[in-house]
Amino acid sequence: MLDTVKTLCYLSGVSGCEDEVRDYILERAMPFASEIITDSIENLLVFKKGRVEPGKRLMLCAHMDEVGLIVTGIDDEGYLKFDFIGGIDRRVVIGKRVYVGHDRIPGFIGIKAFHLLDKDEKKTVPKVGDMYIDIGARSKAEAEKQVALGDVVAFDDVIAEFGDGCLKAKALDDRVGCAVMLKLLEEELPCDTWFAFTVQEEVGTRGANVAAYKLRPDLALVLEGTTAADLPGVDEGKQICSLNGGIVIPFMDHGTIYDRGLFKMLARLADDNHIKWQTKGRITGGTDASAIQRSREGVRTGALACAVRNIHSHACIAKIKDFDDMLELARLFLEEVAND
Amino acid sequence: MNLTEMIKALCSLAAPSGFEDQARKLVRELLEPYVDEMREDPMGNLIAVKKCGKPDAKRLMLDAHMDEVGLIVTGIEKGFLRFATLGGIDPRMLPAREVRILTEEPVFGVIDTMPPHALAPEEMDKAIETDNLFIDVGMSQEQAAARIPLGTAAVFAGGCETLGSSMLCGKALDDRACVAIIIKTMENLKDRDLNLDLYCLISTQEEVGTRGAITGTYSIRPDYAIAVDVTHAHTPDAKKEKTLPMGKGAAIGVGPNMNRSVTELLIETAKDKSIPYQVEVLPSSSGTDGWVIQISRSGVPTGLVSLPVKYMHSPVEMMNVDDAEAIVRLLTEFTLRLGEERSYA
Repeated sequence: MLDTVKTLCYLSGVSGCEDEVRDYILERAMPFASEIITDSIENLLVFKKGRVEPGKRLMLCAHMDEVGLIVTGIDDEGYLKFDFIGGIDRRVVIGKRVYVGHDRIPGFIGIKAFHLLDKDEKKTVPKVGDMYIDIGARSKAEAEKQVALGDVVAFDDVIAEFGDGCLKAKALDDRVGCAVMLKLLEEELPCDTWFAFTVQEEVGTRGANVAAYKLRPDLALVLEGTTAADLPGVDEGKQICSLNGGIVIPFMDHGTIYDRGLFKMLARLADDNHIKWQTKGRITGGTDASAIQRSREGVRTGALACAVRNIHSHACIAKIKDFDDMLELARLFLEEVAND
Repeated sequence: MNLTEMIKALCSLAAPSGFEDQARKLVRELLEPYVDEMREDPMGNLIAVKKCGKPDAKRLMLDAHMDEVGLIVTGIEKGFLRFATLGGIDPRMLPAREVRILTEEPVFGVIDTMPPHALAPEEMDKAIETDNLFIDVGMSQEQAAARIPLGTAAVFAGGCETLGSSMLCGKALDDRACVAIIIKTMENLKDRDLNLDLYCLISTQEEVGTRGAITGTYSIRPDYAIAVDVTHAHTPDAKKEKTLPMGKGAAIGVGPNMNRSVTELLIETAKDKSIPYQVEVLPSSSGTDGWVIQISRSGVPTGLVSLPVKYMHSPVEMMNVDDAEAIVRLLTEFTLRLGEERSYA
């Protein structure tokens, strides 16, 4: 499980450019799938037969895309101008390593030296329009040989296990969900299941719209990463969830009031099986559930999430144990659906 | 080991101000083949000398500092580490930053960022002060307290890597790139007959106020000195008049911090030997070890040669290797020429 998460996080899949992730998942899923569809928006939809055909059509969902940047210009000196893809806090990109385009040209987001700042500059975070990527090019021509407008830019991919069972990597949101679905695909399943590996969640749950319409599920479970703000200096009421609090079963976020029955069922399954869980202590964020829930005549939708610190940065941090707990709870959920 | 490899090896080490052991150990090994004697003083400076064996020889000192900017742990709260900086670090460089904490068995950490929802909208545009940042080591309070004593130092994770055709990018180029430049200069001069005793001061604690150079220079008692340090290279967001272009060779400092005749000899040498150089005008302190070297004991005629570096004091400092090569040549030729012209003056 951990190896799968790491491998997936290493791959680049900025929204709209998920190819690397999709290719990898396709290869891993192929031997276990009963049917595979790549749809028009390039979601990867994988069906696997289980022991029983449940009365309700079931879809599990995780998104393949990650937040990143896109090159919008190359200036006269060979520096790259950029904008964000997905919701990125611009405070976390300063001085970070990035990889530009398919050839993974390394670069760094520059900012002038501390010594050269005036008083006001020291206190403010530059606007995105004033930031730039330095790829070490000595001229515009040298930069243009390596980079084109529209190239997507992914964050540094160094992965580290540290502390008390923690993992640092980019894109934990939502490669954890992808990894859980890949592991489930390899197992004998209690019931027929569709696995939707979606695109473009980070720019507005766009892939999930298309996937849910296509698959017409009655029931859906979204596997996600969610913001943990359990830091010193953050009021308890604003911490949302904690890295040590177990798997997150949300009842509501900005996009969705999760199906109450599924919320209760997931909580019961966790309790009965001694899986540590928590819910979100603050209404924030959103998931593919918002698109799935309102697809066609409506879909009963629940979610499991992994608590992640620094979520939309290259330095996401999560507890490794949560990956296994999410897998176990998803397994129990399938069993429950099969027996229903 | 070529210059690039040496810079990479030196920058990969963790040696913030006051905690320079790792750097000193490697510099000692690298200098060893080219010098006659080496010693460490109470401030941790490494002092090396190549003697010419001639009576009443003058002393030329080449100086570069081995310390880098870093962090130091000042408290532990709920398992997260509070810290102060060692040297000047832009706090805006710190959110979501990976660090190496220098316990006996180094600990990996990440400086966490409060997510946007926990902040008022206007705070999103404000730099987060160091006091409000914490290093996440993924441990409980008990685990962190047991592993990481207060006063433990930390550095930016990573080292230095090649970027594009001629750039190096990483942490600690300030000033280990120049330490490597001095070592390569000593290598160049290995079999040369000198007319002066050539000292290297590889100093400590420059980043907290050029402290090592104070005692190191006193101890060496040089007749001439060249401080070798980094200076600001041009970036799109910086004023052109406060920065120098990269790729234009050695930057030779001109101003009150630098002795006029030493500076002129540096410039003449560069011209005569066709070594690329540019003049850096410094109206007051150079902000380098040169500032304290100049007034050591009864005064030392001091020159300054600088390597242009972008994003100074960040984990992504950037330099052009061609500039560093030019400085090695300049220091080599300058040493030979100073020996010829001034040694018996």
